[in-house]
Amino acid sequence: MLLLAVAFIVAFVLLLYMVSPLISPKPLKLPGAHVVVTGGSSGIGKCIAIECYKQGAFITLIARDENKLLQTKKEIEKYCVNDKQVVLCISVDVSKDYEQVENVLKQAQEKLGPVDMLVNCAGTSVTGKFEDIEVNSFERLMAVNYLGSVYPSRAVIATMKERRMGRIVFVSSQAGQLGLFGYTAYSPTKFALRGLAEALQMEVKPYNVYVTVAYPPDTDTPGFAEESKTKPLETKLISETSSVCQAEQVARVIVKDAVQGNFNSSVGSDGYMLSILTSGMSPVTSITEGLQQVRFGKAPYSLKDFKI
Amino acid sequence: MLLLAVAFIVAFVLLLYMVSPLISPKPLKLPGAHVVVTGGSSGIGKCIAIECYKQGAFITLIARDENKLLQTKKEIEKYCVNDKQVVLCISVDVSKDYEQVENVLKQAQEKLGPVDMLVNCAGTSVTGKFEDIEVNSFERLMAVNYLGSVYPSRAVIATMKERRMGRIVFVSSQAGQLGLFGYTAYSPTKFALRGLAEALQMEVKPYNVYVTVAYPPDTDTPGFAEESKTKPLETKLISETSSVCQAEQVARVIVKDAVQGNFNSSVGSDGYMLSILTSGMSPVTSITEGLQQVVCMGIFRIVGLFYLGSFDSIVRRCMMQREKSESADKTE
Repeated sequence: MLLLAVAFIVAFVLLLYMVSPLISPKPLKLPGAHVVVTGGSSGIGKCIAIECYKQGAFITLIARDENKLLQTKKEIEKYCVNDKQVVLCISVDVSKDYEQVENVLKQAQEKLGPVDMLVNCAGTSVTGKFEDIEVNSFERLMAVNYLGSVYPSRAVIATMKERRMGRIVFVSSQAGQLGLFGYTAYSPTKFALRGLAEALQMEVKPYNVYVTVAYPPDTDTPGFAEESKTKPLETKLISETSSVCQAEQVARVIVKDAVQGNFNSSVGSDGYMLSILTSGMSPVTSITEGLQQVRFGKAPYSLKDFKI
Repeated sequence: MLLLAVAFIVAFVLLLYMVSPLISPKPLKLPGAHVVVTGGSSGIGKCIAIECYKQGAFITLIARDENKLLQTKKEIEKYCVNDKQVVLCISVDVSKDYEQVENVLKQAQEKLGPVDMLVNCAGTSVTGKFEDIEVNSFERLMAVNYLGSVYPSRAVIATMKERRMGRIVFVSSQAGQLGLFGYTAYSPTKFALRGLAEALQMEVKPYNVYVTVAYPPDTDTPGFAEESKTKPLETKLISETSSVCQAEQVARVIVKDAVQGNFNSSVGSDGYMLSILTSGMSPVTSITEGLQQVVCMGIFRIVGLFYLGSFDSIVRRCMMQREKSESADKTE
């Protein structure tokens, strides 16, 4: 009897695995797609732009520094796969003023067509003890990391809903899945992106627009190097529990998940465990993703409780 | 053999339950304690102030409107339990300028002594579809709900660490545990409070300062009434899955959890399930809390997925109805 029940469960799970692709979103076709990357002039944003360009997309890079933008444009163009591809550079601060951001994206859409995928990668970080962090950093980080993702998303959402297709990516962080010593100014901004993504996904799901939240670990980028200069000792020691990733690898994972329309995007086995543990009430895009979260929800609990 | 193993597990769990109080934080003594409540002139903040005052605490109420503050002060003073109790009112906008907030709390501490418990309850809400919400609401809500909790906390934390005692409460929301239709401006601000709380707790734990994040459900307050005026239909329908709570009940739970030093504070059985499901990498204050999370998370995730499915179909139904009526209008 027990064997029969087990066999039935196994058969049911296999059936779900087979059915899953039929229910999941249709992957976005990158060749010829218009991908906008904010914070695209360096770090993870740049690698995401390169990854999409390699697969045939038309790129709009958005960042503040014009020189860095032009340099990055030259770098990206080396990877072109056909004659038609274009890399457009626009210099703007995505966190300052919504109207500016709206205009800039309108210009981009006039040149390269409606936006198929928006990657919100503009962001910065500051670490330190809560009482040591400069007071205006809290507001500044929230403006860049959060408002700087709200404004571009708001500028493209109406068109995506009309066309009944689109992808919006928010690049959060593992620090957006758990709060750590030294990140009292940074974690809230990355947690906020998740709240925005969950609420937004519920609104745009019937319109075939999919939201992806990426939770990269510490990644080898200029931004990370800058952050590491003033990191408190405790933060350094805690961060040593996971290794620093390469930006190219992180970008590959993010692009793959965004194209597939997966809500959660994580890198590596640490990232996998963290995403399942903190999946909470996030939507799942495939039945298998949901199954893993249910099965492993009881998995290794808070290792950090035993460490400290 | 199996029976022996089960008996052993049961005995172990019982042992944990008995040991747990020895390892948990010592409860904060409210009689004579100085409790500061931002957003204390109405709603949940006011009820929290009343609850602490009933237990003998000295209250500092912080809000913007002076008249409301004085009215609330009169209301609270009816519940005094001894002659010494004081309710101090200070009018300031906790989100505008850190230096102002720092000064105001310095004044309060000069009058009523160092702050034992800070309750960050100043907050507001706006609902609507992402593209319909007024653009500056995103910044405004984040300022009031997030910065308005950062600044007071920052102003008291050094003293709490010095005294090796204290409680900081952040009043988040169930919308800070899951994002819902219509809350694209509000949920991020409440999620942010959780990120702040987790990071801050890790920093101040060795100093015997405990952080509590409260996740109240829809609560019957003036703020909620205001929010309900412009709620989209989908949001109303989704919210109907849980009932509206009374502010007094929510306040009682929050004060109890804050005094005990519990990191998570939730109300009702919905709240219990949601908190366990979304506990993720939050710290636990008692072993039993951890045990419950480990055992129940998987099952609750299944339940959660079903809820999400029903929310998605509510949204889809509303969309189709709207399009049907729009095309009907056009053909006319």
